[in-house]
Amino acid sequence: MRYIKLHRIFIAQYLKKLMEYKADFTLGAIGLLIAQAFQILFLGIIFSQIPSLRGWQFEQILFIYGFSLISKSLDHLFTDNLWMVGYRIVRKGEFDKYLTRPINTLYHVIAENFCVDAFGEVLSCVLLLGYSIPRLSMPFYWYTIPLWIVSAVFATLIYTSLKIMTAAISFWTKSSGHITHMLYMVNDFSKYPVSIYNRFVQTVITYILPFAFTAYYPASYFLTGENPLFCVGGTVVAGSVLFALAIFVWNKGIGAYESAGS
Amino acid sequence: MDSMIHVENIRKDFKKIIKEPGLKGSVKALFKPNKEIVRAVDGISFDVPKGEILGFIGPNGAGKSTMIKMLTGILTPTSGFCRINGCIPQQDRKNYVREIGVVFGQRTQLWWDLALRETYAVLKEIYQVPDEQYKKRMKFLNEVLELDSFITSPVRTLSLGQRMRADIAASLLHSPKVLFLDEPTIGLDVVVKENIRDAIMRINAEEGTTVILTTHDLSDIELLCERIVMIDKGKKVFDGAISELKRNYGDIRTMEFELLKPSDGGLLDYLSEFGDKADISFEQDKTSVKVRFDASSVSVEKIISYTLSAVHIKDFKINDVEIEEIIKKLYKSGVSA
Repeated sequence: MRYIKLHRIFIAQYLKKLMEYKADFTLGAIGLLIAQAFQILFLGIIFSQIPSLRGWQFEQILFIYGFSLISKSLDHLFTDNLWMVGYRIVRKGEFDKYLTRPINTLYHVIAENFCVDAFGEVLSCVLLLGYSIPRLSMPFYWYTIPLWIVSAVFATLIYTSLKIMTAAISFWTKSSGHITHMLYMVNDFSKYPVSIYNRFVQTVITYILPFAFTAYYPASYFLTGENPLFCVGGTVVAGSVLFALAIFVWNKGIGAYESAGS
Repeated sequence: MDSMIHVENIRKDFKKIIKEPGLKGSVKALFKPNKEIVRAVDGISFDVPKGEILGFIGPNGAGKSTMIKMLTGILTPTSGFCRINGCIPQQDRKNYVREIGVVFGQRTQLWWDLALRETYAVLKEIYQVPDEQYKKRMKFLNEVLELDSFITSPVRTLSLGQRMRADIAASLLHSPKVLFLDEPTIGLDVVVKENIRDAIMRINAEEGTTVILTTHDLSDIELLCERIVMIDKGKKVFDGAISELKRNYGDIRTMEFELLKPSDGGLLDYLSEFGDKADISFEQDKTSVKVRFDASSVSVEKIISYTLSAVHIKDFKINDVEIEEIIKKLYKSGVSA
């Protein structure tokens, strides 16, 4: 409860900070809109060339892509500051501040930033899902919506946990932003049906860096109604296991933190 | 034992990778790192009773900041431990930091882009200070640190003096039992320094706050601290009252006389006048003479009267004991506590 209240305050502070620099804010917002418009246009061009892919229809592919953006945009929106841990906060000794405050350090780092850029992804996500869902005949039960929410939460947790772990590497190495970046390259695989990749890639994105559980598996369940245990259950398991591991690595990392000279 | 702070044989090692110079050296270190262990703090122990103001002194790189960072729970000691206010900082971090305030003079914890007021509003929530108490506290801090004139300005526009006062106020908002100040007066003018010292003394007197501070400014030490711990190369070299330090290691002062007639310089010879019992030395250039002596064996008065009897002067000034001087002397005599 307390953390929810704090989070509201942190977000409010962040928005005030954004508006403190009016020109930057306005130009940034315009730039974001333009970038998003182009991205959607680009997607339209690509997908209009691919009517089907390994048995998946055009609308189904759009749905999977759109679904992948749910967790990606949520993670982007709320936990973007983790990038800064790997790039700057640890290396410059700025992490000292978080350690001297009586709230959870991981929470504090995450709450301090709120990435409005992610609204572009939210918009793409809404457009893609809004276009594809009415054109698909997906099975619908009373528990479909709760399962959506569960998959979205745990898929986001997969993203965030991997980001926490790579950010925490910087406690030992001082800088790890590039490792997080590499990871983000891998997640691009998850936007398309996993069945188009070879066995190696499939194994990696299912069992090692389980990005496939952030989009393809749960999305394919919602499309076909098949295999709920693996598709949604797998997302829950992957999200929980990774999150537990991430917390462990983070806490270990704090013990290795060396600050910076002053 | 009812000490507020108990530090026992605490040690901190850092691993350092030794690189040869240049890009080639960096590449080599990437594949075949040459590691060396640097012992920043080497087995320090001490106790601080509740309500004491303790000064940490020592040359740059002595391990002062590392020490403060271990005490505040930022760094984990390699061995040994500290217990403060009944907590081991590294084990019970959240409960521990609720009761302490920390200021790093070289770094700010204020929200850089927002009005100062906003920082206090957020800290109020972080530390869960009740509304009533918050109002009272802000009024008190305003009065002590004179924040009123800049509390609505964005932090980035504050001067260093304002920022430091604001940072100290931020660390005191939740009425901590222990206050850690790492170089709180660095780079400040005399007026602000005085304001900050007064604030520290008031908080200490009125609330019984235990204060640990590091500084290079001897007047901070003399005005604030009942006791000092001097460290050098990670080891404790002195622990006691400042008067004791001066008694033990001499009261080194320097005096500078500006001569009315430049040619008079040759008339002065402190060495033959006072001998070497006073650890005296002097140097002169065209227009001035600088004397360095131990005020516990030769009084300031004697130096002045001798100088005046020999030459006419335009101006003079007395510089106080410099910590570096004492440390230098300490090492020369090879004493270690």
